Amino acid sequence: MNLTLFDQFSPPSILGVSLLLLATLFPALLLPSPNNRWISNRLSTLQSWFLLLITKQMMIPLNKNSHKWAAILTSLMVFLLLINLLGLLPYTFTPTTQLSMNMALAFPLWFATLLTGLRNQPSISLGHLLPEGTPTLLIPALIVIETISLLIRPLALGVRLTANLTAGHLLIQLISTATATLLPIMPAVSVLTAIILFLLTILEVAVAMIQAYVFVLLLSLYLQENT
Amino acid sequence: MFSRLVLRAAPAALRNLPRPVTVGVLHTNRLLHTNEQRLAPLPPLPEKGGEVRHGLIPEEFFQFLYPKTGVTGPYMLGTGLILYLLSKEIYVVNHETVAAISILAVIIYAVKRFGADVAAFADKLNEEKIAQALAVKNDAIKSLEAAIEQEKKEQWRAEGCTYLFDAKRNNVAMLLETNYRERLMTVYSEVKKRLDYQVALQTLKRQKEQDHMIEWVEKSVVQSITPQQQKESITKCISDLKVLSKSAHATV
Repeated sequence: MNLTLFDQFSPPSILGVSLLLLATLFPALLLPSPNNRWISNRLSTLQSWFLLLITKQMMIPLNKNSHKWAAILTSLMVFLLLINLLGLLPYTFTPTTQLSMNMALAFPLWFATLLTGLRNQPSISLGHLLPEGTPTLLIPALIVIETISLLIRPLALGVRLTANLTAGHLLIQLISTATATLLPIMPAVSVLTAIILFLLTILEVAVAMIQAYVFVLLLSLYLQENT
Repeated sequence: MFSRLVLRAAPAALRNLPRPVTVGVLHTNRLLHTNEQRLAPLPPLPEKGGEVRHGLIPEEFFQFLYPKTGVTGPYMLGTGLILYLLSKEIYVVNHETVAAISILAVIIYAVKRFGADVAAFADKLNEEKIAQALAVKNDAIKSLEAAIEQEKKEQWRAEGCTYLFDAKRNNVAMLLETNYRERLMTVYSEVKKRLDYQVALQTLKRQKEQDHMIEWVEKSVVQSITPQQQKESITKCISDLKVLSKSAHATV
């Protein structure tokens, strides 16, 4: 089938039934469930080791209260990682290229951190709006600026993830279109473009992992500020 | 709450239905697992996963086709399938194909380069776990063995106690004997001292008596020497001396 460049970003549907939910939840099926063996197979061992690593790294800077967030942050990390990496395969739909999905993830979580901070330690949370050691004249302006910066955080989180992944996928499609079109016309240039595509794919793999990590890291930072 | 009542009354009500109906009705208050669950020991996991060829196709597929089509059968099937899909444009070659080739190249490179290392790492994690438990077991065994050695040594020591007691008994007997001899010696020496004293006393007395008697005899002899006797003895001495000097002159 001939695809336009943006067909990869439309949620898949069969006979009018949208498969968006299936596409979003599918990566969870690829993870082995921990079985009741003491020594399990390689995949389970690696998975447990990886989860332990993520949880430890994320929870060390946070204080005791915010350890409640361990499950959601770790599962968010694994979720985003898998979705991003699986989206690099051909003909796959990446749910995280949809701004709606990323905003649905970012906004409630950010808001939860904000409300936690305002409820438990309101003066400290509001105190973050003014960095230490600012000259007295700048205080009003700085508070306004910091408030805007605070309110733009969820937007930034969502849009960062969406933009990075969408741009990456689009670039891959564009360069592969160029390679495919140039192949009968100028094979040498086509080969060059193919090499660029190869490097870009490696970059995209890295970006996929990094974006997932950054998302969760920023959320944990916002949490750290507010608890 | 009403629904709870209904749910609880449902099985009994269902069982009161006529016999042919109850047989087919599922009794919801009974667990579906009717056999005893075996919790331990669990059946062992297979050591390795299923054999795969080219990372995708299980070995069993090749074995399945081998009797009819030989070794090249599956490959012919694969090639034919791919060519069919391409020529009939069931699979259309577009830009996604190029992207697919690229990502496939990346994946194959990653697996070939890092696959063995990752597997070795996973194995190492498991090995460490096992090694820890083994270490605990071995330490326990070692400490118990050491305890056994200690116990054996103590038993040997207890056996040797009889010799120890014999030696000690001999020692004590010897001490007693020595003490007894020493005291005997003391008694003997004391008695001898007393007797020596008495002997010395007697000897002294006799000596004194003898001395006194000699003195008395000498005194009486000296007193009894008259002057006539003195003169006579002196002239005799001189004549003797003259005779002697004459004989001495003769010899010289």
